[in-house]
Amino acid sequence: MTAASLLPLLVLAMIVVAGVQIGRRALLWRSGSFADVDWVAGVKALPKRYLVDVHHVVDRDKSASRMHVPVAAGLVGSAGLLVLGLVPGIAGSRIYWAVVALAFAVMAAGVVLVARRRYPRAMPRLSLGRYQRTPVYLGLFAGGGLLCALLASFGDPLPFFSFLGLILAAAGGLALAAQAATGPMRHALAGAAHLALHPRPERFDERLPKGRATGLKPIDLDAAKLGREEPADFAWNRLLSFDACIQCGRCEAACPAFAAGQPLSPKHLIADLAAASGGGHASAYAGNPYPNERSVAREGGLHHAVIGTGGMVHPDTIWSCTTCRACVEECPMMIEHVDSIVDLRRYQTLEHGAVPGKGADILDNSRLTDEPNGHDVATRTDFAAGLDLKRLDDGARTDVLLWMGQAAFDMRGQRTLRALIKLLKEAKVDFAVLGEERDCGDLARRLGDEATFQRLARANIGALSKVGFQRILTADPHALHTLRNEYPAFGGDYEVVHHTAFLNDLVASGRLSPARLTGAAITYHDPCYLGRYNGEFDAPRALLDALGLERREMARSKRKSMCCGGGGGAPIADIPGDNRIPDLRMEQVRQTGAATVAVACPQCTAMLEGVTGDRAEVRDVAELLLDAVEAGRGEKAKTEARAREVETA
Amino acid sequence: MKTTVLLSAARHPVSGREALARLEAQAIALATRLGGDIRGLHAGPESDALREALGVGLSKIDRIDAPNGSDPMEDLASHLRAAGPDLILAGRRGQGGLDSGLLPYRLAERLGLTLVADAIAIEAGSEAGTVRIDQALKKGDRRRVTVRLPVIVTVHPLAPPPAAFAYGAARRGMISTHPVNDPIRQEGQGSEWEERPYRNRPKLMRTASASSGDAAEKLFVDPDPKEAARLILDYLERNGIRQF
Amino acid sequence: MSRTRRDPRNEREAKSVASNTRRRFDLGLVASTSRRPRRDPRAEFASAEVEGRSRRRFDRTQTTAAIARPIAEAPHRRQEEVKPATRIVETPAFLVFAVLEAPKNRLSRFDRQVLGAARMLADAKDGGGAVVALAPAGLEEVGAAGADRILPFADDLALDDASRAAQLRAAMESLEPRHVLFAEDGRSADLARRLAASTGESFLADVVYLTAKQAARRKIGMTAEEFGAPPRLVSIGEDRVAAYAGAPCEARPIEDETHASPAAGSAIVSVETIPGDPASLSLSETDFVVSAGNGVSDFEAFKALAAELSGTPGASRVVCDAGLMPRGAQVGASGTVLAADCYLALGIAGAPQHLQGVAACEHVIAVNTDLHAAMVERAGLAIIQDAQRVMPALRELLEERRNAS
Repeated sequence: MTAASLLPLLVLAMIVVAGVQIGRRALLWRSGSFADVDWVAGVKALPKRYLVDVHHVVDRDKSASRMHVPVAAGLVGSAGLLVLGLVPGIAGSRIYWAVVALAFAVMAAGVVLVARRRYPRAMPRLSLGRYQRTPVYLGLFAGGGLLCALLASFGDPLPFFSFLGLILAAAGGLALAAQAATGPMRHALAGAAHLALHPRPERFDERLPKGRATGLKPIDLDAAKLGREEPADFAWNRLLSFDACIQCGRCEAACPAFAAGQPLSPKHLIADLAAASGGGHASAYAGNPYPNERSVAREGGLHHAVIGTGGMVHPDTIWSCTTCRACVEECPMMIEHVDSIVDLRRYQTLEHGAVPGKGADILDNSRLTDEPNGHDVATRTDFAAGLDLKRLDDGARTDVLLWMGQAAFDMRGQRTLRALIKLLKEAKVDFAVLGEERDCGDLARRLGDEATFQRLARANIGALSKVGFQRILTADPHALHTLRNEYPAFGGDYEVVHHTAFLNDLVASGRLSPARLTGAAITYHDPCYLGRYNGEFDAPRALLDALGLERREMARSKRKSMCCGGGGGAPIADIPGDNRIPDLRMEQVRQTGAATVAVACPQCTAMLEGVTGDRAEVRDVAELLLDAVEAGRGEKAKTEARAREVETA
Repeated sequence: MKTTVLLSAARHPVSGREALARLEAQAIALATRLGGDIRGLHAGPESDALREALGVGLSKIDRIDAPNGSDPMEDLASHLRAAGPDLILAGRRGQGGLDSGLLPYRLAERLGLTLVADAIAIEAGSEAGTVRIDQALKKGDRRRVTVRLPVIVTVHPLAPPPAAFAYGAARRGMISTHPVNDPIRQEGQGSEWEERPYRNRPKLMRTASASSGDAAEKLFVDPDPKEAARLILDYLERNGIRQF
Repeated sequence: MSRTRRDPRNEREAKSVASNTRRRFDLGLVASTSRRPRRDPRAEFASAEVEGRSRRRFDRTQTTAAIARPIAEAPHRRQEEVKPATRIVETPAFLVFAVLEAPKNRLSRFDRQVLGAARMLADAKDGGGAVVALAPAGLEEVGAAGADRILPFADDLALDDASRAAQLRAAMESLEPRHVLFAEDGRSADLARRLAASTGESFLADVVYLTAKQAARRKIGMTAEEFGAPPRLVSIGEDRVAAYAGAPCEARPIEDETHASPAAGSAIVSVETIPGDPASLSLSETDFVVSAGNGVSDFEAFKALAAELSGTPGASRVVCDAGLMPRGAQVGASGTVLAADCYLALGIAGAPQHLQGVAACEHVIAVNTDLHAAMVERAGLAIIQDAQRVMPALRELLEERRNAS
């Protein structure tokens, strides 16, 4: 009886302990509501989702990918090999033990890398507590196992050290297994299950456009309860997804609300949601607290309301979210934070009307006038009275339907729209606007008012079905996203194009000929709903490059771009923090030294222009292009005049 | 305590869609704070405004199926006489009809009830069967009236803001329809006056020069701070803003 | 349902002139699709001019020229400017009552407008009517504002409202006025309705247009107007009728011998009046706002000053964004739109959004270092000085005056 021969039994014991623990969690997941999941396809897709999609994200933080590959491979490899050792005869082979020792060595090397992220001082976004102790357990298991297996490969010359190794490995291994339900190791199994049974399997399908995986899903307005109140209301695979969180804090580091000192940390929220369903055996949270944390009872349970001062999470937390999806983009476990936040908001709004700030007014207006700010939708085109804008009557046809959005009621937004309309006329595009364009419903939906959104969506789809067009053009990424990705659920399937892409095509095909502008450098701010939501990063940049200005990138750009603070109804909820998000973003603009920040969204324009003091000029891409086109026209006229002079002379 | 909130046939000023008048939503909020059995009462055809009322805190509404444009006074009076609420709440001015704000007064006259106008808060009085009503007066003054029930109270715009609309609540609320008592008597409303379409009528301008007439140019560049202080206080006193 | 709206596109289209080169528009042309009388921008501009300023100023809030000019333009004005003798109506042909609120025993702007309306009805056609102001005794300037008689009618807040209505009803029965005019505001509006409901007299509420021949008001959610000859009871909307600006009238005190018996069987148990505290009032309700902008850095001193002036503290957006004042104190289109009488702007330049918030304020005082700030332009009293220096001076002066009295 050697110590090494007990290692396989240790692994079996660990599997049993972890199995019991995970089983308890699985019972909790089962109390969630129904979700339509394709198990077979999910399990089949698991290896690809894990090896490609997950590692794609993990690899953005090299310190994480470098530690995770050896630790996970070492742990799974050594445990697998040891189970194999139960087959009679194999355990007697020294080569076998040498291979096992190698697996443990790989794991041990990984553990050193894990430890370096946490000791002597952990990275600020990481959670402490159990998470800080995990490298110790991993180290004990790997080190002990390595010692034991290594000695076995040499024929077990030092039995005392072999047993010491076994005891260390048992202590570490069983501690890890015991935490499988509530500790960091939960992420392993829950994460794998979450990948297979993901609530949004379409996000792993590369053939689909990115936007298809980012739109919100409609809810049944005749359901007994609207939105999610308590953990049991969430679909079971959502409960599972909360358990997949490894509290790496990448979401927190990316969250604009967290940066501005508003009481939101996506990591904390997911941890709270996971703890809420566990009720009594929720582990203490050891990460950064919510900034300016509001006090709540922190009581949870499967049938206990999550939101509220008597629950786990203060309402201000869910209303701080700008729905920018920076957290979702960063999450290596593929958790969909925004979906859950909107689901929680839906319950608050639809069942209690508990919308903070000016939200109630905005929703009243959306419901009663079809426009969030209470404007008469029939006056939407008034700003363009001198521009000879064609309005589509029922039955009429056009090539491009221009969707104007809320910008048409805002003086600043009108400037952008006027520039766009002039450009379209210059390029002789056949375009028109809808006779009566209602709000697309984006704001109402993000504020949780699904009823108003669905009504607006159906009304707009009805109006769109009465006219003929090839595609919809809009300068508002929020409208773009809603029309392109959220209307299909209601039967409206349209080709929707953003003005930056459309204008870029016009320039590329020579229908617009901008002159090269001279002047100071510019930088481009990616709108969340265009970039992260719809994966369109290149067209606006190509367009700006065509203008000949020096383009500088902010540290946070493209996929990692930081929100302007204007999305998801956050400016309406107006949850107080330490800073304003647009001020933070403008500071990032300042660091590039650019004199102009190019934007492509009326909301971003409004938020960034609201920054006071000495700041970069905020110009929409369309406005910059119009400048260049008008300059080009001047030059063209000059050359033509010169040519005529030459002719006459 | 039985409370009835009178609901008019208001329309949204922009869209013209049927919508609850804000004052009535505030009345519902006042009634909800006071507690007890609260019902809405409306005389007229079905209206989305009633759904809205259910969404901001009412759970039951009685609708008298009176034709559009008829004088609701008699229908309301007979319903209220039969229902016998302790407290009748109305906006200081209803909407969608004559919009004259006269109806609560006519009802009070007809039912022989006391009317207290412009309430911003209602609490149960120290004596049983009384309520304490805070009325809004000019410049933030308040008048606290204790009154024996039953009473008709109209609500002032400075009353606490209404509850936000909740779709779920609107879905659950009940509207019960009652026939009109006397279907023959349905004379038209407001025949005393002629009618014509709405027209925009601008208001007079509000600046110091327009009303008080002392129009001397009042720009002082770089005065001594003491002098500036004197100018400001004198201006405030001369225009009756404050006396120091 | 909703009112017919202009379609600027069609209007513009209708004005296009046939031309083979560029599209041209004759903007002076009356668009055939519009049923409205044609607007005359020049006349509108002229009518928007504010009188009595050395510099020309225009009130752009006016949208049409169809606004009643102040009665000062009535024919008698010019003569009286030469000879401002007191107008005396010895034996009036009929009486017009004007019920005044007179808060803090001063005539408010609204009170003057009610008197202006009464004067107009009394002078209509052959004239000879007399305006009887129903107001607290000893009120000044009532004569100058157009009252021939003054009948003491105090607003006794301890009295229950029904008794007050009975008192007025008794006065109406003994003096038989042709019209009784009220302000459509607060206690007067309540009184008018009590009277209308108890007497059954015809009543037009919240009149938006008033001449001797016609009174008009909105109904059915501002979609229609009803109109007719001014009835006996009229309540007038604010800023609808100009104040009287003619020769001072006599304001002879008169007595009404009849005394109303207090209304019997009232359910009112007790009445108590609680004065408002400006410091804790909401911005939308207060009459005087002291507001801080970028030019203020000492917010403790600012809050103390606001309290000493018994004004409600307000602030610009920048100040609220910076967390120096609570969000609830923000004045402007995205904060609170004020209905105050007076706005003291300390170090506020006056962004367009902010100015929208103070559009209804009659008096604006600006203290600012920038002579060209929009707030200075808007102000009735503009002081070009550092707000940080004016604040301590104000506090000192207030202290002095307190000690002196």
